[in-house]
Amino acid sequence: MKNILLVIITLQLFIFDLKSQEWIVPDDKKSKLSTFPFDDITRKAGEKLFSVNCMSCHGTPGKGNFLNLVPPPGDPATEKIQRNSDGEIFYKITTGRGQMPSFKSVLSSPEIWNIISYLRSFNKTYQQQVMAVITSSAYPGADIGLFLLFNSSDSTVILRASATKGNSTVPVTGAEVKLLIHRTFGLLTVDEAKTTDKNGMATFRLPDNLPGDTSGNIMVSARFVNEELFGSSTKDTSLCAGIKTIPVNLVADRAMWNNVRKAPVWLILTYSLGLLTALGFIFYVLMKLRDIFIVGETLSSEKPSKEK
Amino acid sequence: MKPDKMEESIITSERYIKKIDSVSSDILRNVRINRGFILWMGFLSVALAATLFAYTIQLKEGLIVTGLRDVTSWGIYIANFVFFVATSLVGMLISSVLGLSGAKWIKPIARIAEIIAVAFAAVAGLVIISDMGRPDRLPNVFLFGRVQSPILWDVTVVTTYFFVSLLLWFLPMIPDLAISRSRISDRPKFLIKAYEILSFNWIDHKKQYEILNQAVRVLLILIIPLAFAIHTVTSWLFAVTPRGGWDSSIFGPYFISGAFVSGTSAVIIAMYFFRVNYKLQKYLTEDHFEKIARVLVLVSIIYIYFNINEFLVPGYKLKSIDAVHLKELFSGHYAPLFWSVQLLGLVIPVILLLFRRMRKPFPLLIISGFVLMASWLKRFIIVVPPQAHPFLPVQNVPAEWLVYKPTLIESAVTTASLILVIMIITILSKLFPVLPIQEIAEEETRAEAEQLNSN
Ligand code: HEC
Repeated sequence: MKNILLVIITLQLFIFDLKSQEWIVPDDKKSKLSTFPFDDITRKAGEKLFSVNCMSCHGTPGKGNFLNLVPPPGDPATEKIQRNSDGEIFYKITTGRGQMPSFKSVLSSPEIWNIISYLRSFNKTYQQQVMAVITSSAYPGADIGLFLLFNSSDSTVILRASATKGNSTVPVTGAEVKLLIHRTFGLLTVDEAKTTDKNGMATFRLPDNLPGDTSGNIMVSARFVNEELFGSSTKDTSLCAGIKTIPVNLVADRAMWNNVRKAPVWLILTYSLGLLTALGFIFYVLMKLRDIFIVGETLSSEKPSKEK
Repeated sequence: MKPDKMEESIITSERYIKKIDSVSSDILRNVRINRGFILWMGFLSVALAATLFAYTIQLKEGLIVTGLRDVTSWGIYIANFVFFVATSLVGMLISSVLGLSGAKWIKPIARIAEIIAVAFAAVAGLVIISDMGRPDRLPNVFLFGRVQSPILWDVTVVTTYFFVSLLLWFLPMIPDLAISRSRISDRPKFLIKAYEILSFNWIDHKKQYEILNQAVRVLLILIIPLAFAIHTVTSWLFAVTPRGGWDSSIFGPYFISGAFVSGTSAVIIAMYFFRVNYKLQKYLTEDHFEKIARVLVLVSIIYIYFNINEFLVPGYKLKSIDAVHLKELFSGHYAPLFWSVQLLGLVIPVILLLFRRMRKPFPLLIISGFVLMASWLKRFIIVVPPQAHPFLPVQNVPAEWLVYKPTLIESAVTTASLILVIMIITILSKLFPVLPIQEIAEEETRAEAEQLNSN
C-alpha cells in the first residue's frame, strides 16, 4: 500500500515536471511574511498596482485571460498561484523567471505586499499571518529615518540615515542604500547603491539631463537595499534637480492628427481643389449634354431629321 | 466617335445606312425582356433576398455574427471592397489608356468595360456599409468626417469615379439610343420611352457629334486621374498605417497594377459570355480575344514586377515585424493560399498565354477565371494576415479570436454584393445595346471604303 502511494506520488511529480519545471523558492524565503496586516486599503492599492504591472500578462484574476506564453503566467485567482505561500509569491515577484520579469527595482516591498494582499482576496480560505517584527533588526526598537539633501552646485544628493530610540539618535552606519527616481512606469535606479559612512551619510550623483516637471522637480526615493536588516523605511522627496519640461500641446496647431478644423492647410486645399476640378469637369459634360439636346431641338424643328 | 472631313462622307453614305441596319439588328436582337431575362432576374432576386436575410441578422445582432474581432477587424468585406474597386478600374484602362492611344480594336469592348466599371464601382460603396456595425452612423462620415482621413478621400473618389464611369458608359451610347428607338417598337413601352428620353434629341447631326466628342474626350481624360486616385487612396487605407505587410511605399502602384489584372480578366469573361450568349461572334472576334489576351499578359507581368518589389525588399531587410508577416505567407499558415494565388493566378497564366492556342476565346476564358478568382483571394491575403501580428502584444483575448475565419453570414452578405453586381451588369447589357452600333457600323464602312479605294 505504502509502495503504491509512493509510486503515485513520484509519478505525479514526474508528470508535473514534464508540464512545467517547478519554480523552487529557497526555504528561508518561503516563510517570509508581510510586516503589515492586509485590509481594504492594501487591497485597493494592490489592485491598482496589479492592473498597471501585471494585468498585461496575467489578465484579470478569475477570468483566466492570461497571455499565451510558455510557461503560462497563470490566473492569480487559481490554485496554481494561490497554493504558494506569501513568501513564495513575494520571492517570485521580486526575482522573476523567464518571461516573468523581476520587479525588484520596480516595486518596493510594501507595494509587492499590497499586490499579494489583492491576490489573496480571491482566496476564500486564506488566513494571513503577519510578521511579528516590523522594525529594524539591526537597531532593535529604533525608528529608522532617511533624509535627503540636494546640492545643486554639483548635482549631488546627500543621504543621511539615523536611528532614533527614545531621546538618542545615532547614525546608521555601514548600511547599503539606493536612490530611485519615479517615472511613469516604475522606478529608475540612479547611480549605484552606496554604503553609509560613519556619519550615516552617502552621496549620490544625479545625471544633469533628467527631465523634470514644468518647474524641474523630480520625485526621488531613498531605500535600504537590505530591508530585512534595516526595515522598509523609505524617503520620498521632490527635488528641483531636473530640467524644466514644458509638455508640448500636440493638438494646439494644425496637424494630420488634429480635428477637421485644425487640418493642415495644404491638405484642405488639395482635397477641395481636386474635388472641385472633378466636379467642374462633370458639370461641363452635363452642360454639353444640354447643348446636344438644344441643338437637336432647334435643328429638328428647322428641317426633318434623317431618322424617321 | 467621329468625324474628320473624310468621315463626314462616310456617315452620309448609302453603304453606312445599310450597315447600321444590319449591325443594329444583330445587336438589338438581344435587347428585350424575354422569358430568359425574367427567369434569370427572378433567380438573382431570390438569391439576393436570401443573402440579404443574412444581412438583417447582422443588423440585429451586430458584427459579432461575423468572424471579425479585436485582432482582425477587417475581413472578407474589406477584401471584397478592394477587389470591387480594383476590378472597376478596367473601364479606365480600356476606354482611356488604350482608346486614347489610338487602339481601334477596343471599340466593341469599351462599353463592356464601362458596364463592369459602373457595376463594380456602384456596389463597392455598399460593401463598405456592410462592414459597418452601425450603418445608421454612415452620415457621420460626411457630418464629422476629417479631411485628414483616407476614408473620407476614399468615399469621395469612389463616388466621383462611379458617376464619371456612368457618364462614360452613357454618353457614347446616345447615338445608339437614337438609332435604336425606331427599331425596338415591339419592346415594352417603358423601354421605348426611356430610349426616347435618353437619346437627348439626337438627330445624328454633325454639330451634335462635335459636342459629344468634346464631352467624351473630357471624360476619357478626367477618368484617368480619378481611377488612379480611387485605387491609390484605397491602397493608402492600408499603407498609411505602420503595420508589417501594409507599411509599404509602393502600395499605390502595386494596387493599380493588380487592379488591371483583375479588371482585364473580368472583361474577358464578360466578352466571352456576350459573344456566346448574344451570338456576337461577328463583332467580338477571335482577334479581339487575341489582343486582350496580350493586354492581360502585359498587365500581369507588370503586376509580377510589383509583387517582386513588394516581397523581395522587405524580405531582404527582414525587419522583425515583416519577418513574422513574410514567414506566415511564405511557409506559415497562409502559405498554401499565397502560393496558389501567385502561381495559379499570375505566373502560370502568363506562361500559358505566351502560346497562341491559349489566346483563343475558350482557353482564355478558363485562364481568366483563374486569374479573377486569384485576384479576389489576393485581396484577402493583402487585407487579413497583417492584422494577426500587431506591434503591441495581443492580450486578454480568447484564443479563438486570434485567427480570423469568415462566418456563413459574412459569406452570404459578400455573395449578396456579387449578386448585385451581376444584376447591374444584366440590366445594363440586356436593356441597352451592349456593343456600340454606330461606331461599329462606321468602322466597318470605312474599312470597306478603304478596300474599295485600294482596289
Ligand atoms: C511579461 C509578462 C508578465 C508580467 C508583466 C508579470 N508576469 Fe508573473 N508570470 C509571467 C510568466 C510567464 C510566469 C511563469 C513563469 C515560470 O513559470 O517560469 C509568471 C509567474 C508568476 C507567478 C508564479 C506563478 C506560479 O506558478 O507559482 C506569480 C506569483 C506572478 N507571476 C505574479 C506576477 C505579478 C504580481 C506581476 C505584477 C507585479 C506579474 N506577475 C507580472 C509573466 C508575467
